[in-house]
Amino acid sequence: MAESAIVRDHGVSHVAHASSTGLSNNKMGMWMFLGSECLLFGGLISTYMLYRGRVSSGPQPNNIFDIPFTSVSSFVLLMSSLTMVLAVSSAQRKDDRNTNLWLTITALLGASFVGGQVYEFTSFYREGLGFTTSLFGSSFYALTGFHGVHVSVGIIMLMALVGMNRNNRIPGDKAEVVELIGLYWHFVDIIWIIIFTLVYLIPS
Amino acid sequence: MSTVGSMKERVSEPMKNLRRRRTAVKASLAVSALTFLASCAKDAPQDTWQPAGPNAERIDNLQRPVFYVAGVVGVIVFVAVGWVIWRYRDRGQAIPEQTHGKPVVEIVLTVIPVLILLGVAIPTAGTIFKLAKTSDTEMTINVTGQQWWWEYDYPAVGSNAEQYGITAPIVTSGQLVIPENTKVLLRVTSRDVIHSYWIPKLNGKKDSVPGRVHLLRLEGAKPGIYAGQCTEFCGLSHSYMRMEAVVLSRADYDAWIANQLEAYTSPEAGTLAAEGEGVFIQQCSRCHQVNGLLNTDGTPIISAPDQYLVSGAAPNLTNLMTRNTFAGASWDLLTPECRGDVWKSDSATFGAKYLKGVTTDCLNQKDLREWLRNAPLKKPMYANPENLAPTGGKYRGMPALGLTEDQINVIVAYLLERK
Amino acid sequence: MTIIERPSTEVAIAGAVPVGVKPSEALGVFKRPAASSSWRDWVVTVDHKKLGIMYGVAAFVFFLIGGVEALFIRLQLIAPDGKVLNADQYNQMFTMHATTMVFLFVMPMAAAFANYFIPLQIGARDVAFPRINAFGFWCFLFGGLFLNSSWFLGGGADGGWFMYAPNSSTLFSPSHGVDFWTMGLQITGIASLTGAINLIVTILNMRAPGMKMMRMPIFTWMVLVTQFLLLFAIPVITVALFLLTFQRSFDATFFDVASGADPLLWQHLFWIFGHPEVYILILPSFGIVSEVIPVFSKKPLFGYPIVAMSGAAIGFVGWGVWAHHMFASGLGPVSVTVFSMSTMAIAVPTGVKIVNWVMTMWGGKLTFAVPMMFAIALVVQFTIGGLSGVTHAVAPSDTQQTDTYYIVAHFHYVLFGGAVFGLFAGFYYWWPKIFGRKLSESIGKWNFWLMVVGMNMTFGPMHILGLQGQPRRMFVWTKARAGEGFFNFGFWNRVSSIGSFILGIGILFFIINIFYTHKIKKGALASNDPWDARTLEWMTDCPPKEHNFDVIPQISHLDEFFHRKYEQNSATHSVSQVHSAEEVMAELNAHPDEHIHMPSRSYWPILLALALPVIGYGVIFNRMLLAVGVAMVLLTMFGWAMEPATSPDEDFDPPASGNGDGHTKELVPHG
Repeated sequence: MAESAIVRDHGVSHVAHASSTGLSNNKMGMWMFLGSECLLFGGLISTYMLYRGRVSSGPQPNNIFDIPFTSVSSFVLLMSSLTMVLAVSSAQRKDDRNTNLWLTITALLGASFVGGQVYEFTSFYREGLGFTTSLFGSSFYALTGFHGVHVSVGIIMLMALVGMNRNNRIPGDKAEVVELIGLYWHFVDIIWIIIFTLVYLIPS
Repeated sequence: MSTVGSMKERVSEPMKNLRRRRTAVKASLAVSALTFLASCAKDAPQDTWQPAGPNAERIDNLQRPVFYVAGVVGVIVFVAVGWVIWRYRDRGQAIPEQTHGKPVVEIVLTVIPVLILLGVAIPTAGTIFKLAKTSDTEMTINVTGQQWWWEYDYPAVGSNAEQYGITAPIVTSGQLVIPENTKVLLRVTSRDVIHSYWIPKLNGKKDSVPGRVHLLRLEGAKPGIYAGQCTEFCGLSHSYMRMEAVVLSRADYDAWIANQLEAYTSPEAGTLAAEGEGVFIQQCSRCHQVNGLLNTDGTPIISAPDQYLVSGAAPNLTNLMTRNTFAGASWDLLTPECRGDVWKSDSATFGAKYLKGVTTDCLNQKDLREWLRNAPLKKPMYANPENLAPTGGKYRGMPALGLTEDQINVIVAYLLERK
Repeated sequence: MTIIERPSTEVAIAGAVPVGVKPSEALGVFKRPAASSSWRDWVVTVDHKKLGIMYGVAAFVFFLIGGVEALFIRLQLIAPDGKVLNADQYNQMFTMHATTMVFLFVMPMAAAFANYFIPLQIGARDVAFPRINAFGFWCFLFGGLFLNSSWFLGGGADGGWFMYAPNSSTLFSPSHGVDFWTMGLQITGIASLTGAINLIVTILNMRAPGMKMMRMPIFTWMVLVTQFLLLFAIPVITVALFLLTFQRSFDATFFDVASGADPLLWQHLFWIFGHPEVYILILPSFGIVSEVIPVFSKKPLFGYPIVAMSGAAIGFVGWGVWAHHMFASGLGPVSVTVFSMSTMAIAVPTGVKIVNWVMTMWGGKLTFAVPMMFAIALVVQFTIGGLSGVTHAVAPSDTQQTDTYYIVAHFHYVLFGGAVFGLFAGFYYWWPKIFGRKLSESIGKWNFWLMVVGMNMTFGPMHILGLQGQPRRMFVWTKARAGEGFFNFGFWNRVSSIGSFILGIGILFFIINIFYTHKIKKGALASNDPWDARTLEWMTDCPPKEHNFDVIPQISHLDEFFHRKYEQNSATHSVSQVHSAEEVMAELNAHPDEHIHMPSRSYWPILLALALPVIGYGVIFNRMLLAVGVAMVLLTMFGWAMEPATSPDEDFDPPASGNGDGHTKELVPHG
C-alpha cells in the first residue's frame, strides 16, 4: 500500500522502507494495529476476570476446564510461533520453497489449535456451558472466541500467502509481507499465553 | 440561588454610584455580574445553592469558593483577551519580533493554576470523605427505584425500631419522610434500570443501580418539604420520576409513624368508599398492596405485582392520602391552593399541615381521575398490551384498566380514606 | 502537470518485481478504474484531498441533521409540559442528536481537515495507506447512513448516547434503534481506527526532509495526539458494543442483572472510551486555532513546545479521568478522590493552551478576518467551558451538578463554543486552499456574530437552569419545579430556545456564504497565499495539484513558509519581507520532480465498506443477509489483497493518457 513517493523523489529511491523513522509504513502500521488490538483484548479479558466467578447456572470454571488438553493445544500454538520464525528467515534468504513449507506448517499448527478449540467448545457445551448459560459462559466464549477468530484470520492469511507465493503474486517486498504476518501471528500467540494463564491456570 | 439574588438587592444602590465613578469596563463587569446574580428564579425547589441540611451545606461550602475563584479567573482571561485585541490590533505597526515564548512567563503561568488547583483539591478530598461517612447513622431507610417511581421501606430493625418506634416495616412511595436533625442513611438500589436519587437541598445525588446497594446520607436541618428528581436517564417517563423529601420535627415524626402503623379500618358499610373497597380488591389489589385488606375467607390479600410488572413492584397504597403526591410524585393529590399552603408554610407550622394529609376539600380530583381513567395517557409507560412480547407479557408502569366512571367514583372515595 | 511522467519499471521497484500475469485477467473481476472527471472518480478515488472534501461534505450534512434534531429538542422545552414531541420521540431525538454530533459530525469533520491538510503540512504527496484511507471514509459514510436509516425502520436508538446498561437491553428498549446504534457505531469505529493507523504512520513516517517532530505544524501535532487517543479508545468501545450486540441479538448475559451482571461494567468501558473521546473532539480544533492565531497575529505560536507537549500530556492524563463521569454512580470515596484529583490535573495543560493563545496575540499585529474571529471566540468560550469543568472536577460539587443542565451548558461551551467554533475557523481559513476562493468576509461576519449570539443565548442560560435543578434528558419540565419570579425556568428555557434558532440562522449564513462565493459572486480566485500564512500547506497551489508538491521542500524551520518569506534582523529584531509568496513558490518549483507516482484508484475500498452495513442489517433482520454480508467481506478483501503493486499501462480501462494520473506503486495491503 505504502506510497513512499517522497522518499524516492529525494534520491533515496530503490531503498524500500526508507522513511522519516526508518521503519517501513507497513511495519509501523502493523505495530499500531497490534497496539490497538491490545486494548481490544484488554477489554475482553477485564470482562472475563470480572465475571468468571459469577455462575448463576451451569458449570463452574474449575470443574469444566481440561487443563492437560488445553496445555497441549497451547503448546501446539506456541510451536507455530517457532515455525513462523523459520518462515520469516527463509523469506529473508529468498528461499521460496522453505518459506512455503514453514508457512504451511504454521498454518497447520494453527488449524490444529483452532480444531482443539472447537472440540473444547463442543465438550463444554455438552457439559452444560452454553453462550447464554451464565456470565462465566458468555464472557468465556466471547474472549476465547475472539481469540479463535484472530487465529483463524491468521490461518487464512498464511494460506493466502502460500498461494500467492507459489504464483509469484505477492506484491512488494516478499520478505516484509511474511514478516508482517509473522508479527500478527506472534501477537496472537502472546495473547493466548495471557489468556491461558488467566483463564485456565489461575483458579477463580 | 435566591440567597445570592437577595444580595443584589442589598448592594444595588451603592453599585449605582460606583457606576458613575469608575471606568466603563469595570461598570460593565459589575453589571454583568449583577445580571447573573439577579437572573435566578426565586425559590426554585431544586436549587443546588440553597442547602437545607448539613450534607448539602458541606457541598455548598466547598463549591462556592470554587465558583468565585473560577469567576475571577474567567474575568481575568476575558479582560486580557479584550485588552490584547484592543491594544495590538493592526494600526500599521511593524511586524513584531518573532519570539517563540518566554520560559519565565510560561512557568509562572503554569505554576499559578497548579497552586489554585491544589488549593481546591485539598478541601475537595476532605469533603469527599466527610460525605462518605456512615458510621454515626441514626436511622436507615431502604430506597428502591423502578420505572418510574421510588419505594421507601422503613425496616423495623435496629435504631429504627428502638428509637423511632418503627415496630413493623413501613412501605410507602412518593414522599420520603424523615425526622429533623437526624442522620438518615438511605440504602439505595433499583429493581430494573439505573436511576439516581437526588434531593438537591439535602445532598448530592447517588445512582440506584440494580444488583448494588449504594449509601447516601440525608439530614434535614428544619421541617419542610424538599423536591428532587430522578437524574439518571431511565427510559420513557424519566421526566415523571420525581420525589419529595419531607422533614418533620421529632414529635410530628412520631405522630406520622404511629399513623402509618395504625391498623386498617374498612369503610363504613353502605358508603361509596365501601363499594370502592370491592372495586379496589377486584381491580387494583393484584398489584397495589393495601395492608389489612382481607379476602372473603378472612385471609390477608397479598398483592403480586411480580406477576404483572417487569420491576415486580407497585406502590403500596395503604396510607396513600398521608402523602401529597402520586404516580412517581408527578402529580399532586392536593389542589394547587392546598399544596401552596403546605409548601409555603414556615417550619413551625409545617408539620401540622403536612400531617393533615389529603382532606376531601383539598383532593386534586382532576389529575387523580385522569390517572384512573387512563394512566399511560397521562404518563408515558410501556403498557400497551399488544407490545409486551419482549417483556414476556409484563407491563412497565400502570396499564389502562378501562374503569367506568362509576368505578372511578367509588375508588376515589375509597382512596380518600387511606390515611 | 506536464512535468510528470509515466512510471517506468525502474522507478516502480521497491522489492521484488511482480511479473507475468495481468491482474485484471488473473482475477477475472474487473479492471482498475481510470482517472475521469465525472462523479465516478469520487467513488474510486484514493486521493487524500478528495477524500477530505467528501469527509467534510458528509459530516456537514450530518451536522445539519443533528442540528435539526437539536431544534426539535429546544422547541419541546420552550414551555412547560411541551407537546411537540412525545416521550419516545424525545428520547430518540436527544440520543441521535448526541450520537450524530459526536460520531458523524465533529469526529469526521476533524478527519476531513486531517486528511486534507496533514500530507500538505508535513510535505507529503499522500497518506501512508491511500486505499485504507478511502475505505475509512466509506465506512464512516455508510455507518452514518446505516445509523440514520433507523428513523425509517422502526425508530432511532432511545437510550442516550451513553447507552447505559441495563436500560439498553431488549427488555427495556425493544425497538431496533439500539441495534442500529451499536452496529452503526461499530462501522464508523472501523473508519476511526483505520484512519488513526493511517494518519499516525503518515505523520511519523512521511515528513519532508528536515521536518523534525518539533518543526511540525501544531495542527499536525494535535492530530497526532488525537489519532493515538483514537487508536487506543476505539477498541474499548468496540468491546463494549460487541458485548451489547451479543446481549441483544444473541442472548448473552453481559448486562443481565438477574444473572449477576454488574451494570457498572458498561459504564467503565464506555467512559474509558468516552473521556479520551472528548479530547478526540476538541484537540483538532485546538490545532486549528493554534494555526490561525499566529497567522493573524504575525507572530509564531507562543511556547510552541509547551503547546505541543501539553497536547501530549492531555493525551496521557486523558486516560486517567474517565470515572469523573461516574461520581454519582457509587464508586468508593478513594476512587472518587483519585479521579477528582486527576481531573483537576488535566485542567493544567488545558489552561496552558489558553495562556499561550493569549500570549501569542500579545505584542502582535492583529487583523480580524473571520477565521481569527472564530478563533478568538473559541478562546473565550472554551475558557468558560473549562472553568465550569473545574467546578465539577470537585466531586462533591459534581454530585449536585451531574445530569443537570449545568453539564449540558458545560460541554456545549467546550464542544460547540470550542470544537465547532474551531472547525468554523478552519472552514474560513482553509477554504481558499481547498476551493480556490475566499468565502465572503461580510457574510462571514454575519455568520460569526449570529453564531456567537446564538451559542451564548442557547447554552449560557443552561448554567442557571442546571444550578437551579433542572435535570437533563427530560422530555417535559414542570412549573412545579420551575421556581418563581420573572427569571424562572420558563424565562431561561425560552431564551435558550430562541437562542438555538438564532444559532441555526447563523449556520444558515455559512451555507449562504458558500452559495454566494461559488455561485453568485464568482469573484477572483484567491492568491496562493491569501492570509500571509506560515506553514507548508500554503506552499502549494490553491487548490493543490493532485500530487501536492512539484518539489518536496527541505525543511529548516518551524513555520517554514514564513521563514522563506521574511527575515529577522538578528540585532534589531526587526522583521522584513525578503520574498513574496510567488517568489518562494517559483524558487521551490524551479526544478520539478520527475517520475511522481500517485496511488491508483480502486474499487475495493467502497465495495468492502458496502459489505459492512449488509452485515449490520443481517444481524438485525435476517441471518441469511448476515451470511451474504460476511461473504461480501471475504470476497472483497481477497480482491483487495490481490490488487497488484503496479498497474501496467494496458491494465487501465480506458488506457490512461497524458498526465500520469492513476498510477501506482503499492506494497501489500493488510488491515
